[in-house]
Amino acid sequence: MPVFQTIGLVVNPVAGMGGRVGLKGTDGLADRARTLGAEPLAPARAAEALAPLAGHGLRFVTAPGEMGAAPLARAGIADVECVHEPAVPSTSADTQAACRAFLERGVDLVLFCGGDGTARDVADAVGTTVPVLGIPAGVKMLSSVFALDPESVGRLLLADGPARLADAEVIDVDEEAYRANDFRTVLHAIVKTPSAPGLVQAAKQVFEEVDEDRARDAIGRFIADAMRPGVVYILGPGTTTGAVAAHLGIAGTLLGFDAVLDGRLIAADLAESDLVALLDAGREARLVLSVIGAQGFVLGRGTQVCTPAVIRRIGLERLIVIGTPGKLARTPCLHLDTGDLDLDRAFGPYLRVVTGYGTAQRKRVGVDTFV
Amino acid sequence: MQTKIHLDEEEMPRRWYNIQADLPTPLDPPLNPKTGQPATPGDLSAIFPMELIRQEMTSDRYIDIPDEVAEILRLWRPSPLFRARRLEQHLKTPAKIYYKWEGVSPAGSHKPNSAVPQAYYNREAGIERLATETGAGQWGSALAFATSHFEMDCTIYMVRASYEQKPYRKMMMQVWGAACHPSPTTLTASGRAVLEKDPETPGSLGIAISEAVEDAATHANTNYALGSVLNHVCLHQTVIGLEAREQLASVDEYPDTVIACVGGGSNFGGIAFPFAGDKLTGAHPETDIIGVEPAACPTLTKGLNAYDFGDVAGLTPMLMMYTLGHDFVPPAIHAGGLRYHGASPIVSKLVKDGVARAVALYQSEVFDAAQTFARTEGIIPAPEAAHAIRTAIDVALECRRTGEAKTILFNNTGHGHFDLSSYEAYYAGNLPDYDYPEDLIRDALTRLPKVA
Repeated sequence: MPVFQTIGLVVNPVAGMGGRVGLKGTDGLADRARTLGAEPLAPARAAEALAPLAGHGLRFVTAPGEMGAAPLARAGIADVECVHEPAVPSTSADTQAACRAFLERGVDLVLFCGGDGTARDVADAVGTTVPVLGIPAGVKMLSSVFALDPESVGRLLLADGPARLADAEVIDVDEEAYRANDFRTVLHAIVKTPSAPGLVQAAKQVFEEVDEDRARDAIGRFIADAMRPGVVYILGPGTTTGAVAAHLGIAGTLLGFDAVLDGRLIAADLAESDLVALLDAGREARLVLSVIGAQGFVLGRGTQVCTPAVIRRIGLERLIVIGTPGKLARTPCLHLDTGDLDLDRAFGPYLRVVTGYGTAQRKRVGVDTFV
Repeated sequence: MQTKIHLDEEEMPRRWYNIQADLPTPLDPPLNPKTGQPATPGDLSAIFPMELIRQEMTSDRYIDIPDEVAEILRLWRPSPLFRARRLEQHLKTPAKIYYKWEGVSPAGSHKPNSAVPQAYYNREAGIERLATETGAGQWGSALAFATSHFEMDCTIYMVRASYEQKPYRKMMMQVWGAACHPSPTTLTASGRAVLEKDPETPGSLGIAISEAVEDAATHANTNYALGSVLNHVCLHQTVIGLEAREQLASVDEYPDTVIACVGGGSNFGGIAFPFAGDKLTGAHPETDIIGVEPAACPTLTKGLNAYDFGDVAGLTPMLMMYTLGHDFVPPAIHAGGLRYHGASPIVSKLVKDGVARAVALYQSEVFDAAQTFARTEGIIPAPEAAHAIRTAIDVALECRRTGEAKTILFNNTGHGHFDLSSYEAYYAGNLPDYDYPEDLIRDALTRLPKVA
């Protein structure tokens, strides 16, 4: 029997519309996209993903019309409760309000259809109360909450057995800056998402640590044990670096950069200028980063305070990359995008990723691409 | 053109070669784990028979192979030496590649070469049961085979990761009458201690050794048998190199390069010690002897040369060897037989003294080589053996660049018929390139035993 019996569904009907007409995103620009001839795509993508879920006894809570009820009807799903009356046209406030209503109805999982902007809205409303899964339909999908394609949504949600959950980063892109070819990203939130049974199955065969929490704990314990006195360790964002902080007994900043010296937190949530000042004080420093987002970024997604100047001050060889085996199994290769191509290339074709207590993997760095 | 070079059964070596006789300086002695003083034969007699303790410590150059042992070894020995012509042609190398094929034994690897004499000497000493550990299952199945010939019982602690990855190995042990448990178990105090700390542990050779040693030490009728590392185990394996040297001589060859994978060091010692002895005595001073290990468990290339325990619980004597720390649990690479934190003290000394050298390889490049070998020579090698194949190919390719016609000898230690799930993972693209975070481990490595 599927684990997630009651599912909250929200579709961002305008998601992805900006892509086909060159708008690099649709936030606040749905009207302009329509004028340029774009047509809504997300409801059809949603119906495609939902069709395999029909006839499995699942209950859906959703919003009316193209925000959920209509795609569900087209997918042949009848057991549907509508909870939120959206504005016309609907906005991000509607996505958030619908999600909050889902939580009140006690859904087991929130399924959404859209891109990074929709993921951000869903994450704001849902947090880590229940798992979140995205049907990919946006212009940008850097966040790791998305299923590979609409077809794999059914595979993930109809899997038997206990739920395997992974942490998923929600990455927010400044669309206005992006349209001006300035790619700025922020690690906006970390939510829970079901992880792919196919990949987990393969990992089981070689006896990897498939439990994300255990793997993270082992990594955290190892890095904490390997910290030398007198060296400043800068911990980047994410739950894996958070496990390092947990082993040191300090409260780190989930989405930001902290500095640790001799087991103590000496500065939290650092800005670039703080980092530069700290590094210019002359102590040896090491930078601990985790693998972020669906594409496997180490630098360049949610790590914007780590500018080339900061990285050069620390030294390339002092980078410690950490990531769970499960995360690496879902990530064919790693990416670096510091904004300085020479610096990106200076890291070489492979990065070492610490995956457990005293264990690591050599992972290929891919050609630099995004979106 | 000859492809297989055979020896007649009566040409099988009648004695093992003990390289300790030719070492320029003696080995550092094993130390009693409790007192820190050199271990005495009495310290070892709780778990080993006297004759094996004598073989462990002697500097006699040759030790006779008992007739009853030789008779069983003749079930598959002498093993063939192959000229890998198809591989040479594929690589377009001027090098000549020879390999010793140890997969012809009943257990499918070199391991019975020592399992048979160990079972024999224990039976001679009145021992009724042997306890041992096994990583990939090669040693466990070999000892199960050997004990069945001497009507002894056999209990095997198999590293849990391998127990689950390689179900057919435990079936072999059952066929030969042995009992096999996934380690860590709740049967021993050492196993329970590990499980208490980490119920989901994949296990390791170090943990399994602790369990088997404890089992032997706490049962009067039971001794312990180790599949690698110790001097007497490497001694028994020298039949491989002694035969290979004869076989090569029969075609007027002597190797420029000798290659074997290194887990604990027994197959490496087996093929390499006779040639290392020739190097030490000056008969052939230039031979390049290479031990190949996984990058995930790089004992010889990145370990410390220090006294350390052979097992996790610290029950074994402390040995002077290259070590990654006795509590290091290597990642679950497919070459399970190479997941050991230490290495034979003799192999360690040869590497430290520059008689042999070591290289470390990533898993995916090893399987690339295994596939090349299978598609040219036919044999599907065990992932352990494929480490030696990879390095043999690398040396042969270097010969193509330099035009040198080197004679390369490597030990093909076993077949991969029980490792096909590893090949499946390789073809599915699920073979992570495990690495060893040396800098961080050095920073964290504070748990080696302190020796005055």
